[in-house]
Amino acid sequence: MMRLTRPLRYGGLAALILACIGLLTVAAVNIVRIERQMQISATENMTWIFGQTQIEALNLAAALSSDADPAEVQLRFDLLVSRLNLLRDGPQWRFLSEAGLAEGLMGWRDGLLALDPAEGGDRAALAAHVAALSTALRGKASRVMSREWQIQSERLDSLGRLHLLALATVLGALISGTVLAALLIDRERRLIRSTMDQLRAKQLERDLDQERRTSEGYRRFSDLIAHQVRTPLAVIDSAMHRLTRPGNPPSPEIIRAKAEVSREAVARLVRLTDTALLMARVDRGAVEPDLACHDLDRIAAAAIEDLHESARALKTGRVILGSGNRPVTAICDPVLTGEILANLLRNAFLYSPPGSDIDVRPMQDGELAVCDISDRGPGMTPEELAVAFEDFARGARHRDLPGSGLGLPLARHLARLQDGDVTLAPRAGGGLVARLILPGAVTT
Amino acid sequence: MTLTHRLYSCLLVLAMIALAAPKAIAESPLLTLTGAVDGGQVEILRSDLDALEWHEIATSTTVTDGRPLFRGVLMRDILALAGARGETVTARALNDYVIDIPVSDFHEFDVIAALYMDGTALTPRDKGPIWIVYPRDDHRVLADIRYDTRWVWQLVALHVQ
Repeated sequence: MMRLTRPLRYGGLAALILACIGLLTVAAVNIVRIERQMQISATENMTWIFGQTQIEALNLAAALSSDADPAEVQLRFDLLVSRLNLLRDGPQWRFLSEAGLAEGLMGWRDGLLALDPAEGGDRAALAAHVAALSTALRGKASRVMSREWQIQSERLDSLGRLHLLALATVLGALISGTVLAALLIDRERRLIRSTMDQLRAKQLERDLDQERRTSEGYRRFSDLIAHQVRTPLAVIDSAMHRLTRPGNPPSPEIIRAKAEVSREAVARLVRLTDTALLMARVDRGAVEPDLACHDLDRIAAAAIEDLHESARALKTGRVILGSGNRPVTAICDPVLTGEILANLLRNAFLYSPPGSDIDVRPMQDGELAVCDISDRGPGMTPEELAVAFEDFARGARHRDLPGSGLGLPLARHLARLQDGDVTLAPRAGGGLVARLILPGAVTT
Repeated sequence: MTLTHRLYSCLLVLAMIALAAPKAIAESPLLTLTGAVDGGQVEILRSDLDALEWHEIATSTTVTDGRPLFRGVLMRDILALAGARGETVTARALNDYVIDIPVSDFHEFDVIAALYMDGTALTPRDKGPIWIVYPRDDHRVLADIRYDTRWVWQLVALHVQ
């Protein structure tokens, strides 16, 4: 349907444009023709020319009858001849011939010349000839005038026709121009409407995508809760069960051991809750970083200390803070940065074999402040690295390890909030290097 | 072109020699200028015109066919010869045809007082002795009835004011 109507519509537009141009050209040609026809030529003054001839004939007749001196008669004779000669010239002669008035005129002239007073022509015969000529001219004068007006009227008619034609073509051009304009406006309106529809569709698609991601997130979250909340609860339940078992009362050592296990399980639950809550705040944009220059060494040291306190029972190994000679200053929010480092450190602990070392190295890299956390764990496969920062994405191999699956995405979110980032890379010699990158400040 | 040109010049010289003897005693004036001219009146003789530079104009006219070749002297040269000081010239013909011509016409265009058309001297029986001819084909503006009426033939007098 569309394929058929489109060439049709373009063809229509082209035809309209051509019609406009064609009509305007015709109008222009007509106007030029009108302009050309509007010149008045002296030939159209035939009434005057003929009248002058008549007057000269009368003047000569008067001179002859009043017994004027020969010079005056000669002058009048010459003038009459000159008028008759003028009538004999091209345009005037054509006018008279077309009007049927030329006949006999030159006979009168020849008769006149035969009686030329300069050559001793008979004055009485001349007088008679001129009197007859006057009468003949009088008879033609009115017809000359009528012929002239006829020509003028015909010319005006022709001008009128040309004028009407020009007017009609201009009107036609106006109409096709209006239709053209209406079509173009309609097309423009449709174009805008379709653009708006496209934008709306894109928006809807985005919204739907967002909705899908959110629901996928909820699904993973419920999975996670099912798994990660049940494990510590099972640990606590088992401890309580042991302590309240009938029979021999438990020894103080057993009670302390079970209490420690239970507390640790509770701590895990609290951490899980805290992480989920913070992630939710980040998600809805409620976290505003308070950016300032801070010593990254000090933030790292504090994060390590907190971790040692909360995870004393793990006793998995030691964290070595490798500070350089120069202080590393980062433009960051210390609380958020501490949270990032804590997350990265917990991950390092979680995946490291017991007793292995974890290196923490803050350093300045050009204009960036960087902190590397290297563990000696199993590292990650390229596939795992590719999805490591997605919410609730936990390696299949580590499904049973405690953790929210939100640690890395949260760390990256928090880093990006501070114009930084978190990246992961394999460590040379095995393990993983998690790198926090923050905007650095040049120390003075 | 140059051949016909020379032929005309030869004819002119011959005519002058032939006419010089009898006309020398009582040469009648061709043109009379009055008004703001030297001494209030100046009579232009044929010999005065012969002393001026002659020009040719080939142009169409409203009363003839084709493009006749006119030969004569520039109107502005005649006015200068008479010491004319004015803005308008009232031209009068043998038959008392009278029309006002702005002097500026003669400066804007090479208007001539033609004495010859196609090599033939103009006479009172035609449009002579003098026909004011505008270079109609050289300037579009001149193809207009307002200029056509200034082509005075049988010119005999000019009144300058």
